Amino acid sequence: MLAIDSISVHLPGFSLKAVSFSVGPSDIFALLGPTGSGKSVLLEAVAGLLHIQSGRVSLRERDITKLPPESRNLGLVYQDHALFPHMSVQENILYGARYHKISETVRRNRFERLTQRLRLESILRRNPLTLSGGEKQRTALARALMLNPQALLLDEPLSALDQVFRDDIRQMLKGLQRELAIPFILVSHSFSEVLLLANKGAVIRNGRLQQSGTVEDLFERPRSAFVASFVGMKNVFPCTIAGDDIQAGGITLRKQEAPAKGHTHVAVRPEEIELLSRDSSGGENVLQGTIKELDCQGFYYLAAVQIGSLVLQAYWTRQLVRQANLRPGQNVAIEIPARAVHTFAEPA
Amino acid sequence: MLSAARGWFSPLLFFLSLPFILLITMPLGELLTSSGLSSLVQTLQDPQVLRALSRSIGTSLAAACICLAFGTPLAYLLARRRFPGKRLVEGLVDLPIMIPHPVIGIAILSLAGRYHPFGRFLSEIGIEIMGTYTGIVTVLTFVGLPFYVNTVKSGFEAIPVRLENASRSLGAGMASTFARITLPLAWRSMLLGMIMCTARAISEFGAIVIVAYHPMTAPVLIYERFTAYGLKYSQPVAVWLVLISFCLFVLMRLFSRPCETAYAGH
Repeated sequence: MLAIDSISVHLPGFSLKAVSFSVGPSDIFALLGPTGSGKSVLLEAVAGLLHIQSGRVSLRERDITKLPPESRNLGLVYQDHALFPHMSVQENILYGARYHKISETVRRNRFERLTQRLRLESILRRNPLTLSGGEKQRTALARALMLNPQALLLDEPLSALDQVFRDDIRQMLKGLQRELAIPFILVSHSFSEVLLLANKGAVIRNGRLQQSGTVEDLFERPRSAFVASFVGMKNVFPCTIAGDDIQAGGITLRKQEAPAKGHTHVAVRPEEIELLSRDSSGGENVLQGTIKELDCQGFYYLAAVQIGSLVLQAYWTRQLVRQANLRPGQNVAIEIPARAVHTFAEPA
Repeated sequence: MLSAARGWFSPLLFFLSLPFILLITMPLGELLTSSGLSSLVQTLQDPQVLRALSRSIGTSLAAACICLAFGTPLAYLLARRRFPGKRLVEGLVDLPIMIPHPVIGIAILSLAGRYHPFGRFLSEIGIEIMGTYTGIVTVLTFVGLPFYVNTVKSGFEAIPVRLENASRSLGAGMASTFARITLPLAWRSMLLGMIMCTARAISEFGAIVIVAYHPMTAPVLIYERFTAYGLKYSQPVAVWLVLISFCLFVLMRLFSRPCETAYAGH
C-alpha cells in the first residue's frame, strides 16, 4: 500500500495543498487533471524529487517522507522516458543494479525475464535515440522494474506514443500490474486513457484534489462541475430539486434514487442519451427537441439537441445518424435513462 | 528561398554587414601575409620567442585546468540550484568581462601585494604573485573564468533534469548521478569551456603587464618588441600567436556544434 497523507508542496508560483489518497497493491491509480494542475509535481514529490513541506508518504507502512529518492524503492517512468542517451538499452536497464544489493544470479534472471517479457532482446545493443516510442517506453519500464520497486510511478505513460504503440503498452502495463501486484500511480490528462487502464483515480486542479475514488465513481458520479466536465460529462446544468423531480431549464428529469435536497446541479453523459423512434412518446425522461448541430467526430456524431432552454449534447453512432437520416433542424425524441441522471451539490 | 531573398532589403543587409567583415579580415589578412615564411621560421628559432609562446600556452592551459576544477561545481550550482543571492553570483561571474584588464591586474596586486595582510600571508606561505608564473596564472584564471563558467552552465542547463531524476529514482545518489549521467553528457561543453578559457587567456595582455611583465608571455613580448624595435620586428611573433589562436578557434568551432541530437526526445 502506498499512502499519501495530506502532503503539501510549495514551489515558486505553485502550491500543492493537502493531497491525500492511497493506492493498494492491486490498483492502477490515475492522477487526472489539466496541464499545470500539479499532477507531475505530486508524482515527483512522492518520488522524493521535490521537498514535501508537510504531510506523510508511506510505502508498506514505512514512512518514506524524508528519504531521498534513491532510498525509496519507487520506480519512476517519465513521459519522455528519460533514457540515458550515452548508454545502450542494456546499460540503461542495468543502470540501477549496482546501487542495490542484487546477487549476480538474481540480476541475470531478472534481466532475462524482463527483456523477454517486454520484448527487448533484439534491441539491447541499440542506442535509445534510435528507438521507436514504444521501444523507449518498454526500455524505461524494464529499467524501473529491474530494481523490483515496491510501487511504480508513471508520468503520462501513453501520451507520447503513437496509437499503434499505445494499445500495446496499455495491455503491457495492465499485465505487469497483475503480475507484480504493486501499486501503480499514473499521471494523465486524458480521461479516456484512464478509463481503459486504471481502476482508481483522483482529479486534481490548481494543486488541490477535487475528487478521488474508483474510476467508475469519477466517471458516473462526479462531485463538481469541473470534475464532471473533465471526465467528459458534457451536459451539466444548474437545477432545483422538488421532491423526486429535477428541474433544469424548463425540463423535468427523474433519477433512479430520490435526489438529495441540497443538490444544485444535474449531469448526464452524452453517450447515455438515446435517440427514440419518431412515434415514441410518454415514458420517464422522454423529451422532444430539435437538432441544432451534428458534428462528425470519426466513428460518432456529437449532436446538439435543443430542449426548452437547454442544449443537450449526445453521442450517436454514424450508423444511427444515417439510418434515422438525422439533420440539423429536425425534431427528435430522446430518452435519458433514469440511471444516467446524476445530481450533485457544487462545492463552495 | 530565392523569392524570399529578392527585393532591396537583403542586399542592404549584406552591404551594411560588409564593414564588420572587412574590419576583421583585412587587418588579420595583412598581418598574416606581412611576414614571409623564412621570417616566421627564423622567429620560431629564437629561444625568447619559443619560451614566450610556450609560457603563454602553458599558463593558459593551467588557468583552464583551474577553471575546470573550481568552475565546474560553480557552473553546476548555477545551472541546477536555487539559492539566495544566485543572481548576484551570476553577475560576479560576468564581472571580469566588464572590468578593464589593467584594473584587474591592479586589483590583484592590491590584494596580493606586501601592503595587504592577505598578500603578506601569501608571502609567508611562499606564494608570490608579482612577477611569477603564479601571478600570470591567477590573472589568466580571473579573465578566463566567465567564459568557462558560462559555457559549462549552459551545457548543464541543456541536460534535461529528468535524466538526473531518473538516475536518482534508480538508486544513484547525487554524486553518482553527477559522475555517471551529468558529466558524460556535459563533457563537450566542459571541453568547449576550457578551449574558450584558453583562447581568452592566451591573448591576455592588459592585466599580465601589470602583474608579471616578466616572465614574459607572448603578448607582452610582442608589445616589448613593438615599442623597442617597431612594427616589423613584432609582426612574426604576432603571426604565431594568431596561428595558435586560430587553432583554438577551429577546435572551438568543432566542439560548439549543436548537440541537440543527444537529447532528442527529452
